[in-house]
Amino acid sequence: MKRSLAAVTALMLALTGCSSGGDADESGPISLSLAGWSLATTPEFQKLADGFKAAHPDIAVELKEYDAKNYDTQMIADLAAGKAPDIYVQKNLKNFYTYQDGKQLLDVSDVAAKLGSEVGGLSGYQVDGKTWAIPYRADSWVLYYNKALFDKAGVKHPDGSWTWAEYAATAKELTTKLKAAGDKALGTYQHNWQSTVQGPALAQTAGASLDSGNFAFLKPYYETALDLQTAGAQVGLGDVTTNSLTYQAQFGKQSAGMMIMGSWYIATLLSQQEKGDADTFEWGIAPMPQLTKDTTGTSAVPVTFGDPTGLGVNPKISERKIQAAKDFLAYAAGPDAAKALAGIGSTPADTAAAADTIFALKGVPTDELSKFTFTKHDTKPENPVSKHTAPLQNILNDLHTAVLSGSKPIDAAITEAQDRAKNEVLK
Amino acid sequence: MSIRRVPRIVAYVCLAVAGVLVLLPFYWMVMSSLKTNNDVFTIPVQWITTDPVWNNYADIWTESDMTTWLGNTVFLSALVTFLQLLTGSFAAYGFSKITFPGRDVLFLAYIGTLAVPWASYMVPQFVLMTKFELTDTIWSIVALQAFGALGVFMMKQFYESIPDELLDAARIDGMSEFGIYRRIMLPLSVPALASLALITLVNTWNDYLGPLLYLRSPDLWTIQLGLKSFIDQYNAEYALIMTGSVLSILPVVVIFLFGQRYFVEGVATTGLKG
Amino acid sequence: MTTTVAETRRRRGRVVARNTALGWAFLLPNFAGFTLLTLVPVGLLFYYAFTEWNVFGGATWTGLENFQQLVRDNSFWTALGNTVYYAAFHIPLTLAVSLGLALLLNRKLRGVAFFRTVAFFPYITSIVAIAQIWNMLLSPGFGPVNEVLRFIGVANPPGWTTSADWSMPAVIVVSTWRDMGYYMLLFLAGLQTIPKQLHEAAMVDGAGAWDRFRAVTLPGLRPTTFFVTVLLTINSFKVFDIILVMTDGGPGQSTLVLSQYIFQKGFEENQFGYASAVSIVLFALCFVVTIIQFMVNRRATR
Repeated sequence: MKRSLAAVTALMLALTGCSSGGDADESGPISLSLAGWSLATTPEFQKLADGFKAAHPDIAVELKEYDAKNYDTQMIADLAAGKAPDIYVQKNLKNFYTYQDGKQLLDVSDVAAKLGSEVGGLSGYQVDGKTWAIPYRADSWVLYYNKALFDKAGVKHPDGSWTWAEYAATAKELTTKLKAAGDKALGTYQHNWQSTVQGPALAQTAGASLDSGNFAFLKPYYETALDLQTAGAQVGLGDVTTNSLTYQAQFGKQSAGMMIMGSWYIATLLSQQEKGDADTFEWGIAPMPQLTKDTTGTSAVPVTFGDPTGLGVNPKISERKIQAAKDFLAYAAGPDAAKALAGIGSTPADTAAAADTIFALKGVPTDELSKFTFTKHDTKPENPVSKHTAPLQNILNDLHTAVLSGSKPIDAAITEAQDRAKNEVLK
Repeated sequence: MSIRRVPRIVAYVCLAVAGVLVLLPFYWMVMSSLKTNNDVFTIPVQWITTDPVWNNYADIWTESDMTTWLGNTVFLSALVTFLQLLTGSFAAYGFSKITFPGRDVLFLAYIGTLAVPWASYMVPQFVLMTKFELTDTIWSIVALQAFGALGVFMMKQFYESIPDELLDAARIDGMSEFGIYRRIMLPLSVPALASLALITLVNTWNDYLGPLLYLRSPDLWTIQLGLKSFIDQYNAEYALIMTGSVLSILPVVVIFLFGQRYFVEGVATTGLKG
Repeated sequence: MTTTVAETRRRRGRVVARNTALGWAFLLPNFAGFTLLTLVPVGLLFYYAFTEWNVFGGATWTGLENFQQLVRDNSFWTALGNTVYYAAFHIPLTLAVSLGLALLLNRKLRGVAFFRTVAFFPYITSIVAIAQIWNMLLSPGFGPVNEVLRFIGVANPPGWTTSADWSMPAVIVVSTWRDMGYYMLLFLAGLQTIPKQLHEAAMVDGAGAWDRFRAVTLPGLRPTTFFVTVLLTINSFKVFDIILVMTDGGPGQSTLVLSQYIFQKGFEENQFGYASAVSIVLFALCFVVTIIQFMVNRRATR
């Protein structure tokens, strides 16, 4: 009987969403819990905790481990059960809405107000005039290129002046000349993610928006992608998926001369070259190819995209810890944390403060264009915060696989995606 | 039962061809475990590793907590299998050999829950488990897996094939229902118990989502969970994952080889109507 | 003679009471755990299906709104259609293959233990490896399967997992291949319940192999076949992981199934109320099919 009573009580609690859990440690030294993933291979969380502790010796920071792939599933369950850590990571903007709309984030506008303008990605976390999370990492997408392969083929290195047409032409030229030089590498590699095509399209097209339900802006980008596939300058989507190709191997093992990828890959490439998982070769980064000539050249600011990674505070945190948690957020977004993160190759939210540190790392290219690319960019969010972003991105992912696998022509696919958006999401 | 020679040879050839096809993915796993990470997925596929990297098999024991994961997995699988067999066969006896009102409705409720995808009630269940303070303990997985409907259903179906006359005879001899279950049903249902045991064992051994949600502390991780920790946000140690997967299959294979010998014709019906 | 009627009735009442108590005693150990941990959360689902719920807070009652939206939701119908397509082929195929395997491996062949283990291998092999190998074998350009097809004169072999028309057949074949050992195991256990004497008697009567299969094996296997069919039906309608690793629902929506749609709506788009409604539909679908099988089975046994 006792058991069934407990079950009924639990049932009621579950229904009303109350939590019986509370913080037991109402006295003694303050200890903050912080969510992180794959702690053994992802040092950034420990770096942040250590750096913060050096400045605030009286506050302890305890890491709680999550799975990198299933972070959101685990976090949603923990928040629903009332046992999530005090500070947790907003892994991408796509799921930020879930937490913000679900009232699982504390208002941290006061922290945001004190931050300098060099912190990138802050606007992504602002809803109804309030800020709900603070970015500490702000990756943006760039063009990686293999200098050795360019030289072998005798093709001129990127110079920051490219539009997509020049990028495509170079990819083809590189493929042909490499073949002639006896190298099997292809001109470029775009991974099978929808971001590689749709990310730049959304960021660079004036007036493009997901919520408009008008996806015509994708067309020129898919035409370029399809053109590269048919010309054989890029592995087709079918072969990427059926062979589970990884972008790390495609670029790191020199199977592609160029690759469009996020700036997090800098750290990966460095460590893989050191461990021997990747070949050792000269490489560089250049700005994303642009839609129009207006934003090209090193006197302009190239437009690219990327979602920040931010920290939010769990509203169930005990009253006395709130200030400490906010201090932690301010530290993570600040210049000291930026240098610490750059030291392990991550791209912090404050890229200007970190540039010197990152370009001093062994193996990082130090040419002017790489430096320019790292520090100068207009990075638009890949997933603008809205109720509709997640379902719309799911629809656009279907469009992506349908078009690049050749199952549907681009026009038909856009029409279908627009119909679905109107029908299922924007009603 | 005698089979003439030609069909037997044909059967062997068919089995051999099918065997190769079936073992191909396993072969690929073994080959991948001998490669470096960036060589695992390539175009075209490298079927033979020319330069095998044997130290993956050493690294996995030294660089990860494979020993802990293995211990947890063995403990969980053994306990869950034992409880599932016990409670499942017990309940199945009630469902198949005792008639009482409401029995069929209750049974349908059991099967009904099998028809609901876990993802849809995963969070409410998690909240409940948290209230009982079971989350992040090894007992959460025991609670989750040991009372499944599958075992009840399977044992019930098996008991149906045991004739009621046999039980009636025992009842007339004055044997209690519990005695019938223990002395008659259990010994007769060895093949069914063996297959339920194998299936429960494999399911618990290979379960990923359950431990993912419930076992958070690294010292509670199972093999499947531990291997996934080789995947971080942007990278994956594919060669080590394959090494671990190969290692994790081996105990299951041994147990299967051992367990399948209980599928011998006639065990169940020895001494029954001839 | 009225006293005896009353007495019989009383005695029968006592028997029912006794049997009820006994029956529950046997059920209880499993039932307690089952109710608390599975039945209760599943029951909650039937409430959430009629609400708007973001999983964190309380749910807002919206009546039939979720179900009305379902009717208009084309993706739902696509997912439903794909699920039925998958189940319609996967169920009979797997049933036939696993029964065939069980019959083949229920003999005293030399090395039968080895072959049984091999047949069970796909079920224990890492699903990532399975997806990888099959995707590779079926790779449109370089895959061995298409090489063979071209060799025997098929000019334009299918694109398999990269083609909207062929992705579902490819998934069905691979998942049948994966599941056959599992269901074979269940059939093997069932085959042991058939008395050897029945086969011998049939042989004395001069019955051929096919006749013996129909007259002895099939009827003797009925409880197992019922179990396997129901389980296979439920698992087919709930199919998720093999699709996720092989095609992730693509290309386009060509292999999107209900389980995946539920996960997408719930965990990715945070519409747990709506996801619950889809689950109810999936549940109802499985349940109706199961009840039909239950009825047919019961009629056959009587």
